[in-house]
This record gives sequence, structure tokens and C-alpha cells, in this order.
Amino acid sequence: MSVNAWIVVGDQPTVSNLITVARSLGGTVGAVVAGPRSVAETVAASGVDKVVWCSAPDDVPAEANAPAVADAVAADPPRVVLAGRNPGERVLLGAAAARLKAAVLTGARSVIADGDGVVVVNAVFGDIAEETVAVSGPVALLLDGGSVPPADGTGAPVEEISAPPLGLKVIETRTHGFDEVNLGAAHRVIGVGRGLKAREDLAMIEELARALEAEIACSRPVAEGLNWMGKDRYIGSSGAHISPELYLAVGISGQLQHMVGVTGAETIVAINTDPNAAVFSQADYGLVGDLYQLVPAVTAALK
Amino acid sequence: MRIVVAYKWTCDPEEATVSADGTVDWSRAKPGLSAYDPVAIELARQFADGTGAELIGVTVGGKGVGTPIAAKAALGRGLDRVVIVEDESLADAGRSELAAVLAEVIRHIGDVDLVVTGDSSVDVAAKMVPTVLAAELGWPAVAEVTSLTGQAGALRVERAIPGGVQVLGISGPAVLAASADAAAPRVPGMKDLLAAGKKPVELLDLTALKVSPRSAVMTVTGRSRPERKARKGQLIDTSDPATAAVELVAALRQASAL
Repeated sequence: MSVNAWIVVGDQPTVSNLITVARSLGGTVGAVVAGPRSVAETVAASGVDKVVWCSAPDDVPAEANAPAVADAVAADPPRVVLAGRNPGERVLLGAAAARLKAAVLTGARSVIADGDGVVVVNAVFGDIAEETVAVSGPVALLLDGGSVPPADGTGAPVEEISAPPLGLKVIETRTHGFDEVNLGAAHRVIGVGRGLKAREDLAMIEELARALEAEIACSRPVAEGLNWMGKDRYIGSSGAHISPELYLAVGISGQLQHMVGVTGAETIVAINTDPNAAVFSQADYGLVGDLYQLVPAVTAALK
Repeated sequence: MRIVVAYKWTCDPEEATVSADGTVDWSRAKPGLSAYDPVAIELARQFADGTGAELIGVTVGGKGVGTPIAAKAALGRGLDRVVIVEDESLADAGRSELAAVLAEVIRHIGDVDLVVTGDSSVDVAAKMVPTVLAAELGWPAVAEVTSLTGQAGALRVERAIPGGVQVLGISGPAVLAASADAAAPRVPGMKDLLAAGKKPVELLDLTALKVSPRSAVMTVTGRSRPERKARKGQLIDTSDPATAAVELVAALRQASAL
């Protein structure tokens, strides 16, 4: 039974969406896991038909198994290869794509099987436009991986393979002390931009977040450059894409690269000193003014 | 030691307009060095200075990427020379094809020990070209790189991971994608730009590169402009912040957003 869709997996079994998309295309669904054995076992219990696990020494990161992943996929060439949107899985997907000489698409909104190929509606250029792309031949798709899938009770066999890993070794892992966050699960999110003058002023935002029962996120420069928050908190074209019930943009100008991450928000509120800021044309409610006056006022009004 | 920085000369979608039928109009957009590429060049420049390596810029793309102004913009950031493939057929090329062409250019240059790229391109932002390129070369790829030390054959790389930083040892050639904050790029001055005008620019012919064809063919059969949620665009008078806040909270409650 040849495989129609391969899912490539790194260190985390967050593949529920990949399984859903792979299943929708029909045929056999296989998974290649380059991370720990425990990830392979979780994926095997989640409704795929077969699992190949690339065994490697513990100090070898998942990316080093890229050749083994490419071998496994090429041994049973599929119509599609799917991977989640994170750095490790991009590497594994790239390895599979290079081996298959496949097309690579990263903005798929929908994927349907069409004869021997697929038709993908693909968002392009920071989601400003969508293209319908008919692909004949193998295609590698980078998608939102989803969550850890529930066990479906059947349990697919796990085949172990090993190939010489690439010359990569983990020497040391250090934590940075920022709390990890799952922004996708938050109903309300406050986004902080460079309008905030100092890191200490985050205390004021945290108070608003408590009153609003919201998670705190940010624009890219606040996480990268200013380094006030972990990188998992920045929203935008190359960061998190979220669809909360409420998004409150504080001191954010509203550049395309940021706003594309919140287009799915039910309601958007913007607070900014600059009346001409692009964020106001993309908000439901706009407050032009000093965030240092407006944020405490909103906190008080909520209490 | 030879280090290649793969960079992109392109436009920012912020400057593009999209018509109702989904056609993207770039006519008012001004091309430039892709947003995060100066970071990659700076990170690689500092490493090259420390190791005595030669630093070569490579770009492949459609019309305009090989113009003197484009080459000078990249060279002015600190590259020693550039190798460019400009070919109309690459304007709409996919990630896989661009990576395959880059791999052939790197083989053409020869004796390359390291490829550094930016975090993502300003226009496509797929973060896939470095990974396909690495696989084409048979090298490891590492993204989100925040620091680069060591020497050819014994690199020490730090990369951001959820919750922290991981230190990796790399024993051979590699493709590294720099994180957006890996280095503070220099702003080229008049002296840098004058020097850039004298640095070597090699233009390669795509047909001379023997890029193996892709197995997949992509055909665009339709375009559209995504439907955006209509926003109310309601401005609340903020002459008194407390009143404005009460009005906002009331409006959010009425809209069932609270």
C-alpha cells in the first residue's frame, strides 16, 4: 500500500491539523518522526497508518536526521508531504522536498486532491493575496501543525530506521526564564508595540491583562531586539497567527507584517498616539492618545 | 575559509496593492535588500573578520537583482564580492527551484564552508529556501541562529528555541538562518558605498548552471483578494481618558467582546 501523504515530525507530536489535512486527501497516511521515540509512539496512536522512527543518539537534534527522513519519504514517494510551522520541521520538510524535487507551498488555506496532483489555495506575500495553484507532481506543504492529537485506539506499527546523522550535536540547553505561552488558546490578547517606552512599563500592561483576563503578546521588535518577551509572544507574518475574541493593540503602528497575524480576531481595539497610524483603519474601536493615560483608564473602567 | 551570504533583492508587500481580482501590483514598490538580510551579512561579516574568511554574497532572482544599484546595496553592507544569477524565469520561481539554483551557484564558487541567510524574506517569509538549500548540498540547516563562533569544521552556534537557547556544535559545512536580532547591522556610509562600487560582481548565466529540473509543476489557475472582516473603524473621543475608557468598555460589552 503506497503512501499518499507523509507527515514529517520533529520534537513535538503537535500534528492534529496535519493528520486532518492528510486524511482529507484519502489514501494511506504515513508519519516519519525524527525526534524522540515517545513522539513516534504518540503519533502512532493518533490515527495514521504507519510510522517510521529515525533513531539517533540523544545529543543529536531532530534536524540532524534530515537525511533519514528524506530516505524514508523517498522510499515510498507520496503525493504530499506535510509539516508544522516550526524551525525543526521546516528543515525536515526541506530535506524531503529536495529529495523529491517537490514544489514547496507555505500558505495553504485549503488542499484538495485532483487526479494525481493537488489543488492548493495558497496565501502569498504576507497574505495580501491568494493564488489557486494546481500542482502536478509531489508537493511539500508547511501548515499549522495543530495540537497533540488524541489517541484513537488503533495504534499504527512503528518501524525503526537509522541513517548516519548530519554533523550536529547539542552541547548545552539554557532556559531564558520567560514563561512559555500558547497564544492560540487565548480568548483575549493584548499586543504591545514600540509605543511602550520602557520595559518596566510592562507592569501597567500586566495590570490591564489581569483586569481583561488576557494574554500579553507583542510586535516583533519587542521580542527580538528589545528582548522584553519570549519569541513565542510575537504576532505577525513570521510569528504567531491568532484569532482571539478580542485583540487590543497598544502602541502598535499596524504594519502589514504585524496585522496579518490578527486578521482573524473577532474585535480589534487600537490605542496609539499617532492618529495616522495604519492600525486605526484595521480596528473596530480606536483611541487616539497617550497609552500611559489610556491603559490605566481602561484598567480602571474594567474593575 | 569561504562564507556565502544568500540574500534577496525584492520589494516589501506593504508597498504593494492588490486589486479586487487578486492581482498584486508592485509598480509603486521600491526594491531593496530584504529586511533581515543586513543582519545575516553583519553576523557573517563579524565571523569572517574573526576567522580571516572571504565573505561572498549570492543572490538569484528575476529582473533587477543584478543591477549595479542592487549589487552595490549588498556590497556596501560588508561583502567582499557578489555572485548573481539574474534571469526573468526566476521571477516567479518557487522555493524549491530557487534553492536548487542557489546550491548550483555555491558549487560553482567552490570550497564554501558556510552559508548564512536572513531569518525570512520580506516578501514571501516562507523560511524554506535555507532548508531546501541545505538538503541540496547535503549539509545541516539550523534556523533562529543568535550567535556564531568557532571555525570552519568546528562551529559553535547558539539558536533560540521555545523557552531558551540551545548551543550546537557543527562539525562540517552548514546553512544557518540568522535570527532577526542576531547582530546589529551597520548603516553603510559614503565610504562603504564608494568601496562597494569597486568590489567584484560576477554575473552567472542560469543556463550554464545545470540545475536539475523539479519533478513538480505549479500552475496558478486563479487569484483572489482574501476577504477581510469588515472593521467598524469607530474612533472614541479621548479628550477625557476616563470617559473614553468607560465608553470603550461599554462598546465592547455591547459587541459581546467582553
